[in-house]
Amino acid sequence: MDFTLTRRSKVPIKTEYDSLENLYPHNIMMYNLPPTEDIKIEEFEQLALERLKLLRIFEQSTSRNLKFGSDDFKEFVNAEMTREGLKGFLKLCSGNSTKNEAKKESEVQARRRDYISHFILRLAYCRSKDLRRWFIDQELLYFKYKFLALTSSEIKHFLEINRLDYSAISEEEKSEVKDGLYESTYGQNAAKIELTDFYKVHFTEVLDLIKFRKCFIQKGFCYVSSQDFISIISTSYAQKMNVGLESCQRILPEIENDDRLCRLLRSLHKSYTGKDYTVAANQVTPESIDQLSNKSFPLCMRMSHEHLRAHHHHKHDGRRQYGLFLKGIGLSLEDALRFWREEFTKKVDNEKFDKQYAYNIRHSYGKEGSMVNYTPLSCLTIINLSYGAGSTHGCPYKIFDTATLKTKMTSYGISQIHIQEIVNYSSKGHYQLACGKYFEVVHEKPLEAGINHPNQYFEQSQIIMGNREVKKPVPNNPRKRLAGKGLNYTMTENDDDDELWQVAEKEESMFSQKTAFEDDLDLTQINEMECN
Amino acid sequence: MKDIQEDQPQTQVEEYDPSILPNVLPIYFKRLFPHKLFYKWLSYGEPTPSSVFVNREISFTIDDDIYIRYLSFENDAELEKEINSKAPNKIDIGAVFSSRPKHHRSTPRMLPVEREIVFDIDLSDYNPVRTCCQGNSICQKCWKFMVVSVKVLDTAVREDFGFEHIFWVFSGRRGIHAWICDPEARKLDNKARSAFADYMSLITFSSDSKSEGEQDTIARVTIGDKMHHSVKRALKIIEPHFEEVILIDQNLFGQENGILKLIQVIPDENARKEAEQYLRKFEGKSSKEIWDAFVKYANSMRTSQSGSVWNRKLKYIVEEVQIALMYPRLDINVTKGINHLLKSPFVIHPATGKVCVPFSAQAVSKFDPNAVPTINQLLEDINKYDEERKDQNSNDDKSNMKEYRKTGMLKGVKVFEEFLRKMYKGIGKDKFDF
Repeated sequence: MDFTLTRRSKVPIKTEYDSLENLYPHNIMMYNLPPTEDIKIEEFEQLALERLKLLRIFEQSTSRNLKFGSDDFKEFVNAEMTREGLKGFLKLCSGNSTKNEAKKESEVQARRRDYISHFILRLAYCRSKDLRRWFIDQELLYFKYKFLALTSSEIKHFLEINRLDYSAISEEEKSEVKDGLYESTYGQNAAKIELTDFYKVHFTEVLDLIKFRKCFIQKGFCYVSSQDFISIISTSYAQKMNVGLESCQRILPEIENDDRLCRLLRSLHKSYTGKDYTVAANQVTPESIDQLSNKSFPLCMRMSHEHLRAHHHHKHDGRRQYGLFLKGIGLSLEDALRFWREEFTKKVDNEKFDKQYAYNIRHSYGKEGSMVNYTPLSCLTIINLSYGAGSTHGCPYKIFDTATLKTKMTSYGISQIHIQEIVNYSSKGHYQLACGKYFEVVHEKPLEAGINHPNQYFEQSQIIMGNREVKKPVPNNPRKRLAGKGLNYTMTENDDDDELWQVAEKEESMFSQKTAFEDDLDLTQINEMECN
Repeated sequence: MKDIQEDQPQTQVEEYDPSILPNVLPIYFKRLFPHKLFYKWLSYGEPTPSSVFVNREISFTIDDDIYIRYLSFENDAELEKEINSKAPNKIDIGAVFSSRPKHHRSTPRMLPVEREIVFDIDLSDYNPVRTCCQGNSICQKCWKFMVVSVKVLDTAVREDFGFEHIFWVFSGRRGIHAWICDPEARKLDNKARSAFADYMSLITFSSDSKSEGEQDTIARVTIGDKMHHSVKRALKIIEPHFEEVILIDQNLFGQENGILKLIQVIPDENARKEAEQYLRKFEGKSSKEIWDAFVKYANSMRTSQSGSVWNRKLKYIVEEVQIALMYPRLDINVTKGINHLLKSPFVIHPATGKVCVPFSAQAVSKFDPNAVPTINQLLEDINKYDEERKDQNSNDDKSNMKEYRKTGMLKGVKVFEEFLRKMYKGIGKDKFDF
């Protein structure tokens, strides 16, 4: 006790804080040099997940078609940050760097987290072109969003720190070119132009504005509003990031020698950070599933359900995908056993079901083996599952061709116009947008959030139908969740989960010994499925 | 259109015959081509050996279209010697490369690094809007399109981009070129050139396959919500010429189906049909009457139907029509590429025998493309001059005198000299001796 007190005495904090202030002098950083301090592996992990959540919020804003900088955009992003417990980042996004010494420290700490987490994610996102692009896109939005909140003097400070040789033009200079600004500044009225700072830059820095005649230009210099100015700065930032990511990729093999980092970094992009659906809040009975599946199940689960009803069987991944989903919507273990038994015993006898499948179901509810309460699979996981002949799982928008999707949805009574809209998305690889469109068509209501989890789909649907109440968003506390690690694999569900599941499967087969592998070797069933 | 050509002043005394070229070209290059100025230009004041000069691609077309690319020369003497001995039908100027173009086979990573920004405008792109001439011919009436183009582009280049060192050239047949030579302009990369070119071209072309009869390229312009200052300025230049050129000289709308020329500029299909229906009443009237009717119609539609397309999308339609018909029609790809070859000034156009002469942008309206001397005239000029002087017994100064001073080329050379003088001053090389 005493010990902690001395450590927390004023003097060391002061020096630490001072040097931090020097290291991180501004809310917005260009992330020029990688951090050099040592951090614990736990913090490394925490920061990585924090940053990932942050970037996913910006990704969401794009998939919801929110116009950058609009009020809707701000409202959404701020609300999500609060909900995800990203207060520090939110502070950095709201400008007005504080003068209050006490608050200043937390702000500088937030800058530090911002700085380090950025570099951690560089490690995770440098390995492929697609990942790099995703990362840069989201980082740019975050960067621009922070920039948007700056006051004129903060912008000035930022430019000085980064040795960017730009300055806003003076009021006199502005009034000299006023007519030109009014006439030629794209999309802004006179009143707005009065209030905005303008920057004078050489035309070669704003070629896009030149190309489409969107700004006033005189004698080779363009006068750009501070809004357009952001894009100049962010272009150079994006270039820097790109260079940084590429050099990061070169040193990657060295880092991956460390197993602890490697596992985290590799699975990061696919890991699910959304709401935890492990423990269902409501109850669902097996009898209601038929009815629910018609309207409240996303296509993947609706088809899983149909498959089960038609074939009285599901292969391993199919069981996992559908079973965990059902758990997530509130099917209790007892009901699940009853539900699966009813179907499966139409093909196999009770004894075989007990031996081969019941264990598996209890296991997925965390009642057997490693006692892990498994999390329902997210869209990303489902989309990325490998799919082979006879598989009964996966994202239908990805695995089915347009014609199959069309037939399927026509049989559900969806109009051709809507089907076309949906397959337009899926054929371009926007599976989740396709799913969102399907939701809107089925519910005849606009979708508030993009679909990123089948259970979220279900929940939204139930809310719209008035069967469930809108719950007040509870901030997710990442630290708390991480503390529960070992029993609850929500945060890094993917590969870990997969592995655990495999181990459990093995245990299961050892347990039931005799006919352990019969399931997957049952060729008649595969043929039967293909015939259908 | 024929009568205009027959009306030509007596400058074209004799028909030019391309077959004489091989005989006269060597004389032209030896005696008249301004080698010194040419080198002054391409070396940009750098002392010999100038790197911008030695790395410059120059290409020759000799005999019957044998095209020799990637030539480069070490100095003015070598260039002069080569030009004189090869007497090319055509000389083209390319980019300055990272190394000597003549070694291009052994330097695989040779890249274009510098090049003047150029404009290339061809009167044949104006065929849909000119009724006076078609094809290769050109007259004082259609030259007015070039007058407007030069004024619009020259001002934009100077005022908007701040470039100062630009010279304009008549290509020898039916087009004009411009060379922007400011150091900054020369160093722009392809991306910047492309943006620059897009900034300079307002018209979008499409071809309407549905229209009856001959296929027309339809030129349209979209001004949008606000008129950009460059568009406003262009309009200010175009407007005073519009009546003279389009309505009187070309009588564009008074021709058979002339109304189509007007209404096809309207992008909105329904509005176009409405306007056509209205204007059909004026068929056969003069262009002026049709235009006035259209302006009245557009204005009344705009004011009476608030919230209609006429009020929103078409609120600038009157201005858009004027711009679409008269704004410079650039061959945009020539401007966009750093590596695009363009015909050098002072070469002889093989088909017409005319010299490719610089002209002053300020005096563009006084320039008469049909008065540009052909190679025969030039050679005749020298002979005549020498003949006259021989009588006066003043042989002594003849040898010192630049021979082009004795000919119809003098004006063009003067314009070029003036451009070089200013440019040398601009790049800090005050001493420009001749």
